[in-house]
Amino acid sequence: MIASRPGLVRQIVAVIHKDLLVEWRGQARLLAMGTYAVTLLLLFSFAVGPDTKTLQQHAAGYVWLALLSASTMTLTQSFRVETEAGALEALLMLPVDHRAIYFGKALANTALLVVLAFLVMPVAAILFDLSAAEGLYWLLPPIVLGAAGLAGPGTLYAALTARVAAQQLMLPLLLFPLIVPALVAAVKSTSLVLQGDPMGQMSSWLIVLASFDLIFWSLSGLLFAKVVEE
Amino acid sequence: MTGMIQGGWEYVWVVYGATWFTLAAYTVSLFVRERSNP
Amino acid sequence: MKWENWVGLLGLALISVGHYQGLFVAPPEAMMGDVGRILYAHVPTAWVALVVYLVAFVAAVGSLGSGKRGWDALVESAVEVGVVLNLLLLFQGAVWAKPTWGVFWTWDPRLTTTAIMAVSFIGVLVLRAMLNRPAQRAVASAVYTIFAFVSVPVVYFSVKWWKTLHQPFSSPETVDSPMVTPLRVAAFGMLFLATFLIARRWRLAYAKLSREDEAPDLPPAAAAIRLEGGGA
Repeated sequence: MIASRPGLVRQIVAVIHKDLLVEWRGQARLLAMGTYAVTLLLLFSFAVGPDTKTLQQHAAGYVWLALLSASTMTLTQSFRVETEAGALEALLMLPVDHRAIYFGKALANTALLVVLAFLVMPVAAILFDLSAAEGLYWLLPPIVLGAAGLAGPGTLYAALTARVAAQQLMLPLLLFPLIVPALVAAVKSTSLVLQGDPMGQMSSWLIVLASFDLIFWSLSGLLFAKVVEE
Repeated sequence: MTGMIQGGWEYVWVVYGATWFTLAAYTVSLFVRERSNP
Repeated sequence: MKWENWVGLLGLALISVGHYQGLFVAPPEAMMGDVGRILYAHVPTAWVALVVYLVAFVAAVGSLGSGKRGWDALVESAVEVGVVLNLLLLFQGAVWAKPTWGVFWTWDPRLTTTAIMAVSFIGVLVLRAMLNRPAQRAVASAVYTIFAFVSVPVVYFSVKWWKTLHQPFSSPETVDSPMVTPLRVAAFGMLFLATFLIARRWRLAYAKLSREDEAPDLPPAAAAIRLEGGGA
């Protein structure tokens, strides 16, 4: 270990900073993704029909499906930038812990999805006539943990498929079956905040979500080095 | 015991037929692939 | 004759005996009547499909750890055999669900998990088909196989909590004793047959990977042409 090498946390922060900076410079993309997610919400309403009651009931599901769809775009992008200019090879040559690259990118992707969720949520609230039954701040844990659930394995899979020509197709194909538990738990817990939680089930769903994150973030952190070294 | 489902042999035959067919077809496919990649 | 052919024949014999007993000797099931006889085909498929996926998982760990092509070939063969059994399992389950539950599909945790398992592992096969560089393909499919396998219990429990439509149902522990013998015989038969299939498939995969390694920088089709031209 080189003495002057910064600690793991500082390396992670540097990677997050770099990724978010790249994202910030291309603001148009974030805007496009937000618009895409909102368009999906509109489409769900048209597909289901104008019954306010039904829409209200399933709103959490629509929001998460829209986020999930949009997330594949951020995720494919997160390694597209690196592979295009051969930047990933350069990044791997630096004395940076490979885990730092993974956790940095995964956290940056989580942050992006959280931002996206906060863009989409108010629109959904207007479209579906939503009101929070449990206090608005209760939305934060499902959104953050749910975003992490998509971004954690999603970042690893993006690296895995970075060199596949049909990445736009392969990433969702591989990722969607895996994140079913995260989707179920995120939708349920969000729905409980919106519709009220008389049975007190909120905490168990958040625990499911947190355990999912824990399992797949650690597994991804463990295997990421193998994936990028190849 | 009451409420026992009566009949339904056609479902049983479909399941056993599908099982044997799938296993046989996959085995044959392996032999065919071995033939074409000696 | 290669060893796996003997195992395959043994499997065939055991499955035949088990299915014969299940169909004609065992008594009808207490609730499901003759429809319950599907058990002797369905439950062994389920057990063996899981065992085969376990083999794929172990092979994936071995492949990541060692980088040897023998492990990679085992990942390919076990996943493919697993997917075949998995799809068969789904079909059997749907046909069984119709007379017992009245529908082909319910959101029962086992059924749902089986379906998600199928798409996950089909993903491994698709991914393998899309990657040309052997080393990269080996790592990618091993990593993805590990993820797909680990996610099976996670999916199962989350779906179980999400919705339990489950009706009292003959799970292995509650099966009556006259049913146990044919069930066991059929299950071991299935296991031996799966071993045979994996071994045969492994030889195919190993031969293909070896040929690729002899012509490393070319895509598979070009490598094949070069080998044919060289008379290898």
